[in-house]
Amino acid sequence: MNDLKIGTYTFSSRLILGTGKFGNTRTMIDAIRASGSQLVTVALRRFNPDQPEDDLFSALASIDGLTLMPNTSGASNAKEAVKAAHISRELSGSPFIKVEIHPNPQHLMPDPIETFEACRILASEDFLVMPYIPADPVLAKRLEDVGCASVMPLGSAIGSGQGLATIDMIRLIIRESNIPVIVDAGLRSPSEACAAMEVGCEAVLVNSAVAVAENPVAMASAFAEAVNAGRRAKAAGIMPRSGAAVATSPLTSFLRKTS
Amino acid sequence: MNGLPGWLTDQQESADIEPLLTNADGFPLELLASESSAMTLRRFGRTISLYAPLYLSNYCSSGCAYCGYASDRTTVRRRLETEEVKRELDSMKAMGIDDVLLLTGERKPQAGFDYLRHCVDIAAARMTRVSVEAFPMSVSEYAALADAGCTGITIYQETYNPEQYRDLHRWGPKQDFLDRLETPERALQAGIKNIGIGALLGLSEPVEDALRLLRHVRHLAKTYWKAGLSVSFPRLRPETGGFEPPYIVSDQFLARMIFAFRIAMPDVELVLSTRESPVFRDGMAGLAITRMSIASKTTVGGYSHHGSSRKGQFDVHDDRGVRAFCSVLKEKNIEPVFKNWEPVYNGPNTGHVEPAGQS
Repeated sequence: MNDLKIGTYTFSSRLILGTGKFGNTRTMIDAIRASGSQLVTVALRRFNPDQPEDDLFSALASIDGLTLMPNTSGASNAKEAVKAAHISRELSGSPFIKVEIHPNPQHLMPDPIETFEACRILASEDFLVMPYIPADPVLAKRLEDVGCASVMPLGSAIGSGQGLATIDMIRLIIRESNIPVIVDAGLRSPSEACAAMEVGCEAVLVNSAVAVAENPVAMASAFAEAVNAGRRAKAAGIMPRSGAAVATSPLTSFLRKTS
Repeated sequence: MNGLPGWLTDQQESADIEPLLTNADGFPLELLASESSAMTLRRFGRTISLYAPLYLSNYCSSGCAYCGYASDRTTVRRRLETEEVKRELDSMKAMGIDDVLLLTGERKPQAGFDYLRHCVDIAAARMTRVSVEAFPMSVSEYAALADAGCTGITIYQETYNPEQYRDLHRWGPKQDFLDRLETPERALQAGIKNIGIGALLGLSEPVEDALRLLRHVRHLAKTYWKAGLSVSFPRLRPETGGFEPPYIVSDQFLARMIFAFRIAMPDVELVLSTRESPVFRDGMAGLAITRMSIASKTTVGGYSHHGSSRKGQFDVHDDRGVRAFCSVLKEKNIEPVFKNWEPVYNGPNTGHVEPAGQS
């Protein structure tokens, strides 16, 4: 099966993991290993070199073959996100940046206007920009136009477990996109990740569903299998859905008489 | 009392939660705990953010009947000078603390705005996150604090019952109930990013205080859409003046109230301090609470032990150190988080200086 390509990077895994919300760092590391993820996102605000036990960056550095995608979670506007991206690149050495701007700290919905502005600036500075966005096909195209490496529309609200509530909009985004579309946020179970891949997402990003599962390591592995199954199903050509049976007396039989 | 804002008195604004507080048979505690726990886990994961208070000064101009630092108490008054503030913060930092709440009494010449702002400057150079719990300020003063790196203001109404409030605040600027009620809004208008509110439980009839507190947080959420909101649940503790709480708030009621707030406000930070016992704090971790103070000293100069005041504002009930408390959290599979902020996100929020619909 072909690899996920973002910029010049290729990944055989199409499951991206988030690193927040885990009960302990050991479990987070084990879950990442079990998932086979090669790309993980980590919040700059969890960088704490003064206190290694509290520092997610150094914990992640212990995993071979992992690419970090720092995120700007905590930024409430474009200016803060751009500054955070600069610091993140310096700290991690990674060109990836997940632009995450949520001015309302309660529901954490992404701000489309500030996100667009931050992405425009960061793409011009050669970041691989991966914006977390509302599932808005117009915004997705605008972000592609300014040079984003992917778009990451939300399936539903962060941490809500409401699944692919925006599936129809995600289909529209995929239909028109020339860059990878990655569902980010809201997934609750592996079957939803599989469904996202079946409709044509290039990858899925999962955090809460793994981190707050009773057994995060086993759940990470289950998500990996679901993502693979969805990708393989998409490649195999899924039978078209039909809402009606085909009539035995064809409705268009008259056309034979007109030619 | 006349002149109370409509949002505070409109019972419809808390009608969904009132039965959870008043109908113990219809809503068993275990049921609320289960729902609250699931909601907290989904939204906040298996983590608790930790902070510690730093008492800068115990000078005070107010006569709060319940407070160990009220101006008629005979306690020795002092404030931390620049080098002492640095030493205290360094001691806290050595314990792992990276998120500090700076406290003072009501505004006095010895510890006024300029002093507080100077302390915020010092703290912001050492800590990732700096919040303030002090006297009510003007919009321009709050804006100056935001510029200096203060991201949060904590201000408790103490009680939402205006008559009881009047009787308990015997003199000083804190006597003005409405001025205090409007204080969080001044801070938000100035661009302060996070507001913490609460009622000092035990001062007044607790169900009414809880419902009005809920209306307050809902009002702020509706009016200031960018505000980070947190609710604290301080319960009266014995303090140095021998004040007897007019109302006893049981552990059962406090737990019920906290669960009800989680159910009412699934995304809001809920805070529990070291006023509470180790048993209560350990039990509530993972069920609703997402932010906790740790290893707190309520004396001025308490962390570095260089000439600390002998009496605190109140006695802490959970005096465990960082290591001991964190090991309990870890046993419960909860990650203690010391740094959950980045100074690059400091600075005032923009865009809601004057809320819509208000002139």
